[in-house]
Amino acid sequence: MTAGGAVPELDPVIHAQARLRVVAALNTMGGGDEIAFPALKDLLGMTAGNLSVHLTKLEEAGYVQITKTHKGRTPVTYVSLTKRGRVAFDDYTKAIRALLDSAGGTS
Amino acid sequence: MVDDGERAPSPEETLRLIEEQRAATVRRFRGDPLFLYVPWGVAWLLGFTCFFLHYGLDGKPYAPISQTQALAVLMISMVIAGSLAAYEITRMNMGVRGESPARGAMYGYTWFAGMIVMSIIAIRVSPMLPEAEAGLLWSGVSMLVVGVMYMAGGAIFLYWPMFFAGVGVIAVNGLGVLLGPGWHALLTAVLLGVGQIVVGLWWRRRQCR
Repeated sequence: MTAGGAVPELDPVIHAQARLRVVAALNTMGGGDEIAFPALKDLLGMTAGNLSVHLTKLEEAGYVQITKTHKGRTPVTYVSLTKRGRVAFDDYTKAIRALLDSAGGTS
Repeated sequence: MVDDGERAPSPEETLRLIEEQRAATVRRFRGDPLFLYVPWGVAWLLGFTCFFLHYGLDGKPYAPISQTQALAVLMISMVIAGSLAAYEITRMNMGVRGESPARGAMYGYTWFAGMIVMSIIAIRVSPMLPEAEAGLLWSGVSMLVVGVMYMAGGAIFLYWPMFFAGVGVIAVNGLGVLLGPGWHALLTAVLLGVGQIVVGLWWRRRQCR
């Protein structure tokens, strides 16, 4: 049984499976690290288009930073989680745990 | 409310998803123990078994293997193990920039510097020692570098299993040097060689779960 009524309180930007996986992966990396777009795509097993859409939403929320640069002549895009994104993910996991605890307490 | 037409996952599903993604990311960035640890175990097992057969426990060789042949087996195995580790470390850092690759590069250079200076010391001092003691100097100092680097690696990457692997190497190495060349070779081959292979395979199995 899930606490369906409380779900809307969760951060809607993160509470979509694809974006949750993106944020969870970026959060596992070190705070000073950035990952190249193709490496992130391979890690998540997403298509470039799908990942791009989700990253745009996360960037709009201020949760990820996208840096476009060049490696030699090749354009490279790096992605990292911002401090705001880290805090949002932390709050999100706390809220999920609280939901789980309350669901367990009422059953 | 979840957009993008995705079904809202339950709290249990969400936590599982987070944990699965975290584990997959750790696997990707911490490397495959099959490349990072197991080859070193194989190198020590092969090389130090040759040394053990050369020295014997009571000073009599158990097999007609010269010290040069034993050293050649150890060095060739270690070069192969080092190449596999370097390949895996390069793969781990591919597509990543920032603090972790910088830390990894500095750690790699420290290994290199430690091994080079260890060789210089052994080359300079070993001609002054009897053959068995010269071999013990090479083995003991090289395993000291390995143990210290594992412990330092554990501290740098905040990874306790690596730190304790270093503690094991230091302890076995210290005891072996005290007991003499034959025992040092035997203990290193069995406890560190086989131990590293077993621990490496266990880490891999745990990572793949």
